[in-house]
Amino acid sequence: MEALIELIQYIVQNLINALQRGSFYAVISIGYSMVYGVLMLFNFAHGDIFMVATYIGFGIATLFLALFAGFIPGPLIFLATIVITMFLASWIGVFVEVAGYRPLRSAPRASAAITGLMIGIIFETSILILLGAKRLSFPPLMESIAYNVGGVYFTNVKVMIIIISLLLMLALHTFIQKTKWGMAMRAMSYDFLAVPLMGVSINVIAPLTFAVGAGLAAVAGILYGQAYPILDPYMGVIIGWKAFVAAILGGRGSIKGAALAGYLLGFIEIFVATIFPSTLRDLIAYSIILLILTYRPRGFFGMEHSTKLRL
Amino acid sequence: MKKIACLVVVVFAFAMMFSTSAFSARKTIIRIGINAPMTGDIPKVGEGSKYAAMLWLEDIEKAGGLEVGGKKYEVDLVIEDNESKAESAVKANTKMITQDDVLAIIGPQSSKQAIPAGEVANKYKTVMISPWSTNPSTTLDRPYVFRGCFLDPFQGPVVANFITDEFGFSKAAVLYDVASDYPKGLAEVFKEAWEKKHGAGSIVAYQSFTTKDTDFSSQLTKIVKSGAEVLFTPQYYNEVPLIVRQAKDLGWKGPIVGSDSWGSAETVELCGESCYGLFFSTHYAAAGAKGATKEFIERYKANYGYVPDDVAALTWDALHLAQQAIQDAGKITGKIETDRTAVRNALAKIKNFAGITGNMTFTEEGDPIKCAVIVKINDKGEYEFYKSSCP
Amino acid sequence: METARKFIKTFSNVPMLGWLIGFFAAVLIEYYWGYDYISYYLGLPKIPVLFGALIMLKEPIMIPGAIAYDLIVYVIPILFIAKVSIFFTNRVAAVLEKTPLWMSAIIHLAFFYGVLHLWAGINDYRVLIVKLTLISIILTISINVINGYQGEFSCSHPGFMAIGAYISSILTLYFFVNDKTFGTAVLSSELGPWLFPIALIAGGVAASLGSLLVAIPSFRTRGDYLAIISLAFMFIVKSAVENLNVIGGARGMGGQPDYAPLPIIFIWTILCIWVVHNFVTSIMGKALNAVRDDEAASESMTVKTRKTKMTAFMFGAFWAGIAGGLFAHVLAYINPGMFSINRLAEILAMVYFGGLNSIIGSIVGAISINVLGEALRPLELFKWIIIPLILILVMIFRPYGLISFKEINAKKLLRSKHKREQGA
Repeated sequence: MEALIELIQYIVQNLINALQRGSFYAVISIGYSMVYGVLMLFNFAHGDIFMVATYIGFGIATLFLALFAGFIPGPLIFLATIVITMFLASWIGVFVEVAGYRPLRSAPRASAAITGLMIGIIFETSILILLGAKRLSFPPLMESIAYNVGGVYFTNVKVMIIIISLLLMLALHTFIQKTKWGMAMRAMSYDFLAVPLMGVSINVIAPLTFAVGAGLAAVAGILYGQAYPILDPYMGVIIGWKAFVAAILGGRGSIKGAALAGYLLGFIEIFVATIFPSTLRDLIAYSIILLILTYRPRGFFGMEHSTKLRL
Repeated sequence: MKKIACLVVVVFAFAMMFSTSAFSARKTIIRIGINAPMTGDIPKVGEGSKYAAMLWLEDIEKAGGLEVGGKKYEVDLVIEDNESKAESAVKANTKMITQDDVLAIIGPQSSKQAIPAGEVANKYKTVMISPWSTNPSTTLDRPYVFRGCFLDPFQGPVVANFITDEFGFSKAAVLYDVASDYPKGLAEVFKEAWEKKHGAGSIVAYQSFTTKDTDFSSQLTKIVKSGAEVLFTPQYYNEVPLIVRQAKDLGWKGPIVGSDSWGSAETVELCGESCYGLFFSTHYAAAGAKGATKEFIERYKANYGYVPDDVAALTWDALHLAQQAIQDAGKITGKIETDRTAVRNALAKIKNFAGITGNMTFTEEGDPIKCAVIVKINDKGEYEFYKSSCP
Repeated sequence: METARKFIKTFSNVPMLGWLIGFFAAVLIEYYWGYDYISYYLGLPKIPVLFGALIMLKEPIMIPGAIAYDLIVYVIPILFIAKVSIFFTNRVAAVLEKTPLWMSAIIHLAFFYGVLHLWAGINDYRVLIVKLTLISIILTISINVINGYQGEFSCSHPGFMAIGAYISSILTLYFFVNDKTFGTAVLSSELGPWLFPIALIAGGVAASLGSLLVAIPSFRTRGDYLAIISLAFMFIVKSAVENLNVIGGARGMGGQPDYAPLPIIFIWTILCIWVVHNFVTSIMGKALNAVRDDEAASESMTVKTRKTKMTAFMFGAFWAGIAGGLFAHVLAYINPGMFSINRLAEILAMVYFGGLNSIIGSIVGAISINVLGEALRPLELFKWIIIPLILILVMIFRPYGLISFKEINAKKLLRSKHKREQGA
């Protein structure tokens, strides 16, 4: 009996761990998936957009804490940081689109992907040049309190991360489904050749998509700073590639799919390390992904490619 | 055709005119190469090496050059970035040796670059001192390769003994990066030493993750559940704060012990109060240092604004070792091959070199016999000397 | 502008052989007078290793000296000798034209190699750069087969490279070297260099077998899934090697014997160019292009699409394995961390910079990225701003890469320029 309780504790504990990790992958890969779904492009700069957004969030948070800490309540500062960082970061998204992707509209998709990759490297190096080799510590925007409920440990930060991520996804879902802009995006993802003929300009929708993706990355960045408060210029690289995996795993153009795949990635990583020897984690985790794609080559919710793919 | 010929001549004449140092004789300059990771995974390590080297050069320049055999020579540093990549380290070493004619090379810092780069240095018979590489393969069977620090097989037992003596624990957990050679090697050595002391199975959790991971929750959950009394994590300064914080969040109450890779000022800066009271083994302790060590720390701090890491201190020592060897060699002939061999022989003969990280005498392999220091992070966040352990 | 065109036209009747002879003369000048006279009088500390790029960026005061050096040693002699010798070289080229193409090509290549060897031999740093560049050429061409000719987006090349590097290293270490990992050598170490090609090919074959793991699941449908399956494959290989302590795990594997000197790598590179060229111009290669452009249509034209794709993929992986094996024996040390995301970014940069669907483009891409990477070394961090910027500009102005969709025409390249001179 005791062993059973311990096992349940153990599983619940890891479920919470996986939810937290999965939330980051989900939010970041949604940003990736939007660009991928609407414009059929690999946004290899996304990981580095996330990184820059986190640095911006760091700057804003530090500034606000220095200015207003004490006479403005903590949650308000938190909210203000998120909103302002989202706004600023979305301009980074627009910049990447205008500078790197717009000139390549008619180019092969892979060339645009390379441009994204290179913009990412420029971002990394610029941060390194501007801020030096020093790593930064993200200031805590809320005090972390650890709870122990029946042998399961969690903190208020963890809970908040999970909830904010879910809320964010819900908001995005509403945006995509209910607003005019969202409809335009969905239409664009359905057929990017015909929709511009209907008066929806790709030069408006594309930057918008990038901006929304970058905005999501900004929230993810601030939350990330709360959970893993160490910033370095190369922090976005691995996360970007994982988001890439999740976005495609979820299926083309599917927000739901990307979110699900993000969570799945988090669960696979945590549970593989729990069940198997942790040295084999990457080996087994990626083998599982390989297997999933073998049996579901279109990802979870991907639609069939109706039109011929651009190269 | 005529125009082109004219153009070429004009360009050429122009070039010759502005070539200020034209027609001047070549001077014999002592060049010291620094092979450091300025970009890549651990740019801070590269920065520390570079700054220490610049301080050293400042000293030499103040003295008007390096005096060898009664004659002063100009000294030049060649700093090459190895991008934290093995092949770049090889390229950098080859470039410095064959193109820049360096007399000795300091670096690379990490073993994964120092091992292949040492091969190059040895092939071209050039002295290379790796200040920070603790892997035995770096100097093994390579007469021209030296190091400035102790080895993993020494450090592992030191930590194991320290934990046993200090806390009297018998169950330990290890968390390390499986994809990075340094933590992996040290984790293995520690495991071996610990099990030798407390019997097989006394390492109750032996968990790993991959470089650049930031989430260790599943590994730490396993560790907490395993009933370990102490956690040993030989990780770099960018991971330590995350590990410590997440462990505490997951209900870890025991001490966490680290290794020399913790010894960066950033560890505490990034970690904050969570890290106070923890122990790690390292090369030197900055807080409460005396004599030359203190002088170095204060100078470094005044120049660059923070307390130097162990990398900086070890680089400083390595540079002084090289300087001593060059001076001991007696004279600079100008024939680089002869000079390099002379420096190598002089370096191997150095006995009881008083460095800021301790006294050093080289073994035949080119490894120093050195003491390790156990450091406690005190309540002010300083690295306080706690205990030293000598071979 | 007019002058420049006239200037270029002056040299339009110089055959390849003429340029080679010019280059030869330049190298001879550098070899005999470069250090003692020319660089000495120009105030340069040594012979500038990469045409003075390194020294110019490091010490701007040396710029005039370095430029003058380049003019004296390279530009003027090459142009002069090439122009002066046209009567001789065109005649020889005409004679060679009458021989079979392969003979003419071999003679040219042998001559080119001799000159290259002499040039690189001046400084071992040059040798290393040339070696790594040649390996990059193999790598770039091999990925071009998949990402260019086949039109997929594969990310698994570092993985293939790792397989090739590890398999060939294990073989050479096991058979020919007394080392810690595998004990005493099984065969005499004198046999090593002769049997080294077998070890390399074994590495290549292993890589192409590994590629099946990617190819079988991903070629069932068309789409971007190859991109992540191949990415997953790369991570799987890395993680698998990390867990194999027998071959060093994350600590890596060192002590590979020096079986890959410059001539060997040069021969492999030429072999690779030749074989891949034949492959892509064969029926199979044309079928591959057809599949890329329209899979359904080519299927209806009796192209076995699946077989074609698989063959090409395995073929690309094979050469990546060879490149990996050579790489391991040049560096004499490998670890799994070398074959990861960074390597992938580098390979992708080289192939898309150079140009898709073109061997000559791949060669240009590999050389440019490698030489830029070395030449901009003194800029330290700014190097990583300039190289990406150059790449972005190339992508914007030439979306398919610098030289895309172009094949080598050896005959045209090597022919005598005599006739055109008469015509003009």
